[in-house]
Amino acid sequence: MQLDSQIRKVVIVGGGTAGWMAANALVQFVPPGCSIRLVESEETGIVGVGEATIPTINAFNAALGLDEDEVLRRSQGTFKLGIEFRNWGQVGESYIHGFGVIGRPHGLLPFYQFWLKAWMRGEAAPLEDYSINTAACLQNRFARADAGMANSPLGEVAHAYHFDAALYADYLRERAVKLGVVRTEGKIVEVRQRAGDGFIESLRLEGGESVEGELFLDCSGFRGLLIEQTLKTGYEDWSHWLPCDRAVAVPCASAPALTPYTRATAHSAGWQWRIPLQHRIGNGHVYCSEYMSDDEAASILLANLDGEALAEPRPLRFVTGRRKKSWNKNVVALGLSSGFMEPLESTSIHMVQSQIMRLLAQFPDKRFAQADIDEFNRQADQEVERIRDFLILHYKLTQRMDAPFWRRCREMDIPDTLRAKMDLYQSSGRIYREASELFSHVSWLQVMHGQGLRPQAYHPMVDHLPDAVLRDFVGNVRNVIGSCVNAMPLHADFVRQHCAAPGSVSP
Amino acid sequence: MSTQNLKTIVIAGGGTAGWMTAAALAKTLGRRYDIRLVESDEIGTIGVGEATIPMIQRFNAVLEIDENEFIRETQGTFKLGIEFVDWGAKGESYMHGFGRIGQDLGLLSFDKYWQKLSRQGRAAPLGAYTMSTSAAYAGRFMRPRPDMPNSPLKDITYAYQFDAGLYARYLRRYAERLGVQRIEGRITDVRLNGESGFVESVRLANEEHVPGDLFIDCSGFRGLLIEQTLEAGFEDWSHWLPCDRAVAVPSANAGAPSPFTRATARSAGWQWRIPLQHRTGNGHVYCSRYMSDDEACAVLLANLEGERLAEPRMLRFQAGVRRESWRRNVVAIGLSSGFMEPLESTSIHLIQTAIARLVEFLPDAGFDARDIAAYNRLARQEYEWIRDFLILHYKQNRRDDSPFWRDCAAMEIPASLRQRMDLYQAHGRILREGTELFTEVSWLQVMNGQGLVPQGHHPLVDQLSDAALFDYLEDVRKVIAQCVNVMPTQADYIARHCRAPAP
Repeated sequence: MQLDSQIRKVVIVGGGTAGWMAANALVQFVPPGCSIRLVESEETGIVGVGEATIPTINAFNAALGLDEDEVLRRSQGTFKLGIEFRNWGQVGESYIHGFGVIGRPHGLLPFYQFWLKAWMRGEAAPLEDYSINTAACLQNRFARADAGMANSPLGEVAHAYHFDAALYADYLRERAVKLGVVRTEGKIVEVRQRAGDGFIESLRLEGGESVEGELFLDCSGFRGLLIEQTLKTGYEDWSHWLPCDRAVAVPCASAPALTPYTRATAHSAGWQWRIPLQHRIGNGHVYCSEYMSDDEAASILLANLDGEALAEPRPLRFVTGRRKKSWNKNVVALGLSSGFMEPLESTSIHMVQSQIMRLLAQFPDKRFAQADIDEFNRQADQEVERIRDFLILHYKLTQRMDAPFWRRCREMDIPDTLRAKMDLYQSSGRIYREASELFSHVSWLQVMHGQGLRPQAYHPMVDHLPDAVLRDFVGNVRNVIGSCVNAMPLHADFVRQHCAAPGSVSP
Repeated sequence: MSTQNLKTIVIAGGGTAGWMTAAALAKTLGRRYDIRLVESDEIGTIGVGEATIPMIQRFNAVLEIDENEFIRETQGTFKLGIEFVDWGAKGESYMHGFGRIGQDLGLLSFDKYWQKLSRQGRAAPLGAYTMSTSAAYAGRFMRPRPDMPNSPLKDITYAYQFDAGLYARYLRRYAERLGVQRIEGRITDVRLNGESGFVESVRLANEEHVPGDLFIDCSGFRGLLIEQTLEAGFEDWSHWLPCDRAVAVPSANAGAPSPFTRATARSAGWQWRIPLQHRTGNGHVYCSRYMSDDEACAVLLANLEGERLAEPRMLRFQAGVRRESWRRNVVAIGLSSGFMEPLESTSIHLIQTAIARLVEFLPDAGFDARDIAAYNRLARQEYEWIRDFLILHYKQNRRDDSPFWRDCAAMEIPASLRQRMDLYQAHGRILREGTELFTEVSWLQVMNGQGLVPQGHHPLVDQLSDAALFDYLEDVRKVIAQCVNVMPTQADYIARHCRAPAP
């Protein structure tokens, strides 16, 4: 009978962003009678630095019933409409990968096909002018999508957040504990496995206490205490495609304008992030140790801050890749224990939340049906491979010849799946979104175009529109977006009005 | 630059596929292209009574067709689903109804809750919680009410059943109005370019040449251009879908037409019943290795509900897919691109998605190989998804009364299907691949309807107490029953909106 097979004890190992996100979701959705315990040690630091997200975080917060303004107040958060990429295609160039939509479709075709023809003839403005998200970034403006204006670009604003990951974890911890998650402070000194099948039975903490469980979530970070150190699941290394392997991070004082976007600036052997929060700016330099020393990386970072450094730079090391199975026996890896990809497109938190939602969808009972586990792993693999391809695109598609690192990236072999996408775009300007892929054609377009890939043709059906009509149509979209952006408040004002963190000095 | 556009598009063949393609291209491409369709009155079309799935509404919307007019012109009826009789086991039946099932709650879909209550023996059959199925069994129909967001009446999802011959004629008038040129004649020869191997023109019996830049092969099974000329190749799937013949006959209506198609399993295949306004289309699909033509015909004629209206017509086919449905400057649409039996009414759907894909990948004179490769990959994927869904109907049977069904139950199936059945068996979970045609609820209805039983229910369902679970399902069931009662019968609905003139 099913009742006997119900999972009664879930143990979460590690209390960073991943651990506390999982605790909140589980306590909300698992049946009563199932206990949730999270083991964390204050001795072990968390990796979370300034974090940037993508709009799918809204779905997660909504599922949990979180109030957006409260989350932002508690985490010194700001709004994010996209990511600005500087110096990627060429030194001196920049483009924005904005969330949401570009223009409006006409007939059977997406807007960008019309824009492409106009642009090829020198009759169109840059792509950024045709999306409310990117146009608002250029003016540091922000407003939430107005549901009452379904036919206006103001109804299409798509946003995510920047927040302080440690504060976000604190907020989620407080909430989870209130809802009944048991937090146990302690360092894990031993992991005990069941004889025979090797399932994990319990953890022994320093001091002797034993924590028993039926389902374990490994949120222990890079090292993968359960999934790797205990179960030896294996790791697939992708550093031949994504060669950066270190980062150095430092916060700095805020700059005058509060930008509603993350910035990623390419340097000679990697790139630097800039994440504006209410009380400070998070910065970090991701680089490849084969091409740059730690000292050089740190000094480049410190030389490129918008304000005074507020702490000592912290170094991080990683290997890009994925855990061969993120669910193995009765252990599910969430967050960095399931794999690592650099935060170039702010996908880390997204992957945590989608793993959590996938776990809830495939939630096991004590039989741990292999078909459920296989399906979980299949979906996880599919998601992470498509994101990987999108990240590789940023490195592969560069015209930079100024540094050996970039020359190597230009010449590297890429996965066939990515090759096919680039080929298709180049031959005819078409972009095909793979089944359930995270990034839409809008994302691919902005990066491919922004880094200089030029199609040989636009869609033949565009010629259906007479030239004058095409010009009017494309021009009209731009004008409407321009006037909508002017009606939006400045991002700084919007934050001050709706979700100012106590004690923070809004610029 | 996209300067070298095509000028002339030639469609070879004027059945359902040919005229759907002509109508859609004329509408979406406008008059910048010369669109010509070559067909011969000598050659019959395969089209029998045709049943569709709800996706056809998108096609009609692109064409801006008035639904009532279209139904009147084609002797059409509405279709809420397909009833499968005798499939899981003799004497059993279930409906694959369109649209959603029940009302989702929290993170989980309705069926997860139903699975638990059903295992406890306290749930009604799935159909009682499905708006379309409940209405179909009651013979009722109306269009959905999107203005009632909290009522299941907004969930009514439908397609059509119509006379395919009349449909082709209707689309022909439509296409000709938009400038498509129809050329009468039998194609006797195809001329290729000596260097590129591209088709340059087709020659007709009267010696006329019809030149073109892009050719659409709608010539049916034989694939006059794609196979007989360009030898694109065919992948045989008859080891999975062994039926290879059909015999079709129309009969008089016995009572008001029902708003659903019926598929009744026979000892070596199955029989369709498609009720139209003026008559009922019937056909018996069978496997010639297990049944003779005479016997198949006798079984069909013994199982008509009304008087037979014509001589039975024989059809032969082979299940499978063209290896490349686009080769050089020829795109195969319809039966020339592959064949799968009409068990889930997918033939017209496959035509319409091929057209949409062609429009999306519309070539210019360069015929870029990368575009063609992407088109073929997507076409193939769609075929495989539907194939797996059809195989499920044969594989998942508990009939022990004939060698055909015993062999089907024992056959090896594609790994992709095996995976789905395993996943469902574990906890009633259903995987839907990306843009796959059939949704979770389609897979659910067939797996459940044919007796695949999960070993457990979704653990998160236990959040609800047994009493709350029961109340929740009962509430959904009662609301749907009340909604069915306010709907008109299909006969009344048609009489009011779209009655066809007597033929």
